[in-house]
Amino acid sequence: MGRQAHLSDDRIIEVCLEGALSSTEELHLSACDECRVRRARLDRMLGEISDAAAVEADAAFPPEKLATQQARILQRIEQDGRPARVITFPATSAADLRPLRTRPAGRWIAAAAAAGLAIGLLAGHLAHDLPAFGRPTRTTMSRAAQPSRNAAASVHAVNATVNDEEFLGELESALSGPQLAVLRPLNELTPR
Amino acid sequence: MSRTDRTEWSDRRTERSERADRLAADSAIAADVKALMLAGDRDGARERFADLVASQQRRAVRLAYQYLRDAHDADEAVQDAFLKVFTHITSYREDLPFEVWFTRILVNACLDLRKARARRLRWVLPLERHPSADAAPPETADRERTTEDKLVSAVRVREIADAVDQLPERQRSVFMLCHFGGQTTSQVSETLGVSEATVRVHLFRAVRKLRRLLER
Repeated sequence: MGRQAHLSDDRIIEVCLEGALSSTEELHLSACDECRVRRARLDRMLGEISDAAAVEADAAFPPEKLATQQARILQRIEQDGRPARVITFPATSAADLRPLRTRPAGRWIAAAAAAGLAIGLLAGHLAHDLPAFGRPTRTTMSRAAQPSRNAAASVHAVNATVNDEEFLGELESALSGPQLAVLRPLNELTPR
Repeated sequence: MSRTDRTEWSDRRTERSERADRLAADSAIAADVKALMLAGDRDGARERFADLVASQQRRAVRLAYQYLRDAHDADEAVQDAFLKVFTHITSYREDLPFEVWFTRILVNACLDLRKARARRLRWVLPLERHPSADAAPPETADRERTTEDKLVSAVRVREIADAVDQLPERQRSVFMLCHFGGQTTSQVSETLGVSEATVRVHLFRAVRKLRRLLER
């Protein structure tokens, strides 16, 4: 009886998982210490795995966290049955928006400012794109005016006068130059 | 049969009988909730459903945590699963144990979350692991144990968790449902939608692999 071959490893696993033993296997297990120990060891290992999993999960979910979770589940179920709440969008009421709609004066001011800016930019652009006009002459004039500027450095009023004179001189020389025809369109644009 | 074997056998029988009672009780509650919902008593159904949540919550959390290995995700999966169960309680079939139906919904919720997490992680650069992330989770109750015992136990818990993580997906799923979810092979076959023979094969292979990994 006891001389029957030992249970294979795979059979031990099956026995541990399903618990079903044939009568000969049962007899063998009762007589064979080695097979009993193997079975007990595997049983212990499986128990240990289950315990380890439980310990891990229970540490992550202590009782107070479970209670919070339960409350949250029931709260979500309660909310789920209610008709959806309509949230106003945008959050401000129509009354708050009304003053924004009726402001024609503001619009006109903005439009005038934009137009002024555009004209200014255009004028600046045109002045820049004419290399023969202004700059070389101005450079020459600046160089010519350099000593007088240095001499007048101590007296502000005199300095301002000199600068004005320089500027007017530049204008005169520009107007007397051959590029006058190019400035005509700009001149026509300028309001009087 | 030795005395130890007899005690063990008796313990298992008691455990199985308690489990069967619990399964029947939960199924009865689920049937009540369904009847209340069909009668239009939503508040009554919700109150009765609270008993079902209380009964299944701990098991659900353990299972979800094993699937997801993240407390936040597990929490979300369990909440979603309970919500789904309540929403679809009218389609619950009384001939099936409630636990099997619920586990199926929970497993699907976990798998959905895992997929979503994988998609999310595809766009995230991996961070360096913080040393504390490798530490075992804190022990819960037994404060009287020595520090050394706790350390050994914590290391063992980590070893076991790693070994379970190394199982192929299907084997892991079957093993978890059988051992952590406390389901029989026939219930697992219904939960996962595979034959019972397939469940047995996966379970057998899982245990063989775990033994190889843990008895080294």
